[in-house]
Amino acid sequence: MKSDAELVASTLRGSQDAFRELVVRFERPVYSLVQRMVQNPATAEDLAQEVFLKAYRRLDTYDPQWKFSSWLFKIAHNTTIDHLRRGVPETVPLESEDEDHGDLSAVLADAASESPHAAAERRDLGRSLERALAHLRPEYRVAVVMFYAQGASYQEICEVTGLPLGTVKTNLHRARKELAQVMTSLGWGPGGAVASETAKAPAS
Amino acid sequence: MRPHPQDIHDALNRWLAAERADRFEDADAALREMFEALPLLAPAAGFADRVFDQVLSRAGLQPVKRDVFASLGLRLVLAASLIALSLGAIWLPPVLKALGGLVSLSNVVGLGVRAVAGASRGLALVLRLGEWLFSLGRFLSDLLMAPQAMAALAACILVSALAFRFLRDQIFGERSLTYVDPM
Repeated sequence: MKSDAELVASTLRGSQDAFRELVVRFERPVYSLVQRMVQNPATAEDLAQEVFLKAYRRLDTYDPQWKFSSWLFKIAHNTTIDHLRRGVPETVPLESEDEDHGDLSAVLADAASESPHAAAERRDLGRSLERALAHLRPEYRVAVVMFYAQGASYQEICEVTGLPLGTVKTNLHRARKELAQVMTSLGWGPGGAVASETAKAPAS
Repeated sequence: MRPHPQDIHDALNRWLAAERADRFEDADAALREMFEALPLLAPAAGFADRVFDQVLSRAGLQPVKRDVFASLGLRLVLAASLIALSLGAIWLPPVLKALGGLVSLSNVVGLGVRAVAGASRGLALVLRLGEWLFSLGRFLSDLLMAPQAMAALAACILVSALAFRFLRDQIFGERSLTYVDPM
């Protein structure tokens, strides 16, 4: 399998297949980051497309010394932050059958082997996590998603966000605290309302 | 492997408990465990194609068409086929000449006449069958035009409708067609 840097070099030499391979390789991480930032599947898809378009146009500025994923996430981060700063009002989709596409609760509930009760629990947890993430400031949100969901290092988050290491660590600490507060207020955790309901429910 | 929902709940509870007790390292580990248990979100199918189309259209590029003759194997097969065809063309005239000696004009005319006679017999058979079906239809329509038959037919339709209604009530009677999320 070719490395990211090799695919970039091939793309710059004119290989369309190489760029397609890069898109396929990074579509899920980029979309995940953007979707968890904007909390809207349609907007997330538009922004993710924009990210790849920008990446294609600026591919000649990519330095192979750096990780390609960090470079791409930096574009994704900046594009998403620009969108959030523009303050474009989000049209939150109504909960319908369409919610099974692209959002966290749908992913959690997507388990054919699960009982309906277990699937409902996962769906509830997914919704709560989405709400809690949406409650965070954008710079906290990106840190949480990159560090916990995508397994990025502090250094990578610094590269992507352009913030110093100390600020990133502080943001992560505060974000985690806020996230916990929101989850607790939503009834999650030992002794919470949701946990009690779960305990009362029959074992499946 | 998909984690069990209980694992995610355990991680969630451990995270929140660690957060309350200010055990930051434990909280970090539990939250990471919880997020790692969740798969990455995915865009709608065909995302890469849509991105690629946009890239091509905005960059004013044309998609590179794959050269089907690029494969060496395909070229060899094609060359072999052309050689076989050329050899065949050399042998074709003598073969046709030999076949021409076997077929005479009277044979061809006789074959044509037999084909026309066979087709005529088939057509006659189809016409007889059609006439018989027409007679049967006329007989049945006369029969159904009688008042008693009309009454029986109407009764059958009525009973069928009632049975269908009963069946529908049995199927949908205790269910709501609209799911209402209690949340």
